[in-house]
Amino acid sequence: MTGREDWEPEAAELVRPYVITKGRGLPDEEQLSLITLVTVAPEEGQRPTRLSPEEQRLLDICAAGYLSVAEIAGHTRLPLGVVKILLAALAEGGYLVTRSPVRRAVLADREILEEVLNGLRSKFG
Amino acid sequence: MTEYIQNPVLWALSLLVLAAIAVIVRQRKAAQALKRQIGGLRSHYSDLENHYTQSVETAQEQAEEATKTVLKSAMRTLQGLAAEQQLVVSRLQSKYGESAMLQDLLEIDHTNSQFGRRAQSIAVLCDGWLGRHRDAASVYDVVRSAQGRIRHFGRVEILSRVDFGITSRAVEPVALALAELLDNATSYSSPDTVVEINTRTVPKGVCIVVDDAGVGMSDEERARAEGLLASNRVTGVSGLGNPPQFGFAVIGVLCERFGFEVSVDSSSPYGGVRAVVLLPHELLTSVPVQKPTAPPATTPALPHPAGPEAVPVPASTSDGLPKRRRKRPMAIVPSDTPAQAPSRSDAEAAAIMGAFQRGTQSGRASFPEAPDRTSSTSRASSEGHEVS
Repeated sequence: MTGREDWEPEAAELVRPYVITKGRGLPDEEQLSLITLVTVAPEEGQRPTRLSPEEQRLLDICAAGYLSVAEIAGHTRLPLGVVKILLAALAEGGYLVTRSPVRRAVLADREILEEVLNGLRSKFG
Repeated sequence: MTEYIQNPVLWALSLLVLAAIAVIVRQRKAAQALKRQIGGLRSHYSDLENHYTQSVETAQEQAEEATKTVLKSAMRTLQGLAAEQQLVVSRLQSKYGESAMLQDLLEIDHTNSQFGRRAQSIAVLCDGWLGRHRDAASVYDVVRSAQGRIRHFGRVEILSRVDFGITSRAVEPVALALAELLDNATSYSSPDTVVEINTRTVPKGVCIVVDDAGVGMSDEERARAEGLLASNRVTGVSGLGNPPQFGFAVIGVLCERFGFEVSVDSSSPYGGVRAVVLLPHELLTSVPVQKPTAPPATTPALPHPAGPEAVPVPASTSDGLPKRRRKRPMAIVPSDTPAQAPSRSDAEAAAIMGAFQRGTQSGRASFPEAPDRTSSTSRASSEGHEVS
């Protein structure tokens, strides 16, 4: 508390991450992966004041449109896992909508592609 | 007369009288000497007694001081190590934030915080070091910091907030005192109950109210607590009882040193103890703005070319990690604010438009059917799928 101590390296964050997550566990990878897209739920009228500043800030970041989890984490000072836990909790509370990333395997339907290929071959080939 | 003189009996009598007088005088002298001796002895005894109590007190004080000094420096080391470990754990948390290891790191962090707090409490009782410098923080964050320093932090619920901050000098003491209160509240109530925290503004400042649903305190305990909090403050670690009870002693010392008040004289509506921390206006400030790394999302991210304050600061966090400069959220839906509009003058804009137009014209010149394409891009693109 004397002047000498002021020169010491600064202390770690005042609020520890486990308090911010309220001790909740990490969400499943299927539920929330790095590339899951997240945005604010459309019916969000007035934001409840019970949310912590970190949660409010996450909602602010997501407010502009769909963002990936990795990107949201990049905009905060928090560890990625902590952001995931918060996002999962917010999604559970109905403040956020998550959209799983478009999976390529589903889009590329082999049969259709083959049919198209065959069609093209019979027409031009 | 002569017959009297010649009477040997008379002589004998007078001799006897003389002897008796001599004896009496002697006795008196002896008695006086004895009296003096007794007086001397008495004063000597009381002197001795005084010296004894004095020397016992000095010895006690010396021993107390010695214990304090030893504990103080021992705790200083432990506190330093705990703080260092906290920084290391923080770094690990950001480094391995995406792995499942994070859960364990958070647990280590939690244990480390409790460990640091214990050392801090003993240090406070020994007039020691309170911790590294803290910036002013909001009351809410200080409450959460206190929450993080106890074992069962999940049982603590913060129900209301106030728009006040706590000055940098008082952040650590208030957090520590509140942590001790919360520790008591969670230890003396059943594990399935919730400890509630309410903060509210009062004319004298800000109150932080801690309610538990425990069994409450007996009159004796309450008297002891009130004594430690108000008048009968302890210094040093003696007199804490066995097993030692740090809580109220630590809070009492912190109250005295930093000028806030804690009272436990009312009972909570849930039957347990209601502890009230009253923070006077001297310890309060406005809610500090968040650090530059995390500004509110509404601030424009692009620097204005005119403002000298827009020069990007060399960024690295306190723990030496490169600081990520905040970018505008890259939204798929574009925001409606034209980001670069003010940086272009009219002439520049006209020149750019002109160049664009020239480009499209030269493009059209080489493809004669181009005008048809540009007029109906949707048709043109759909045509591509038609198999003709």
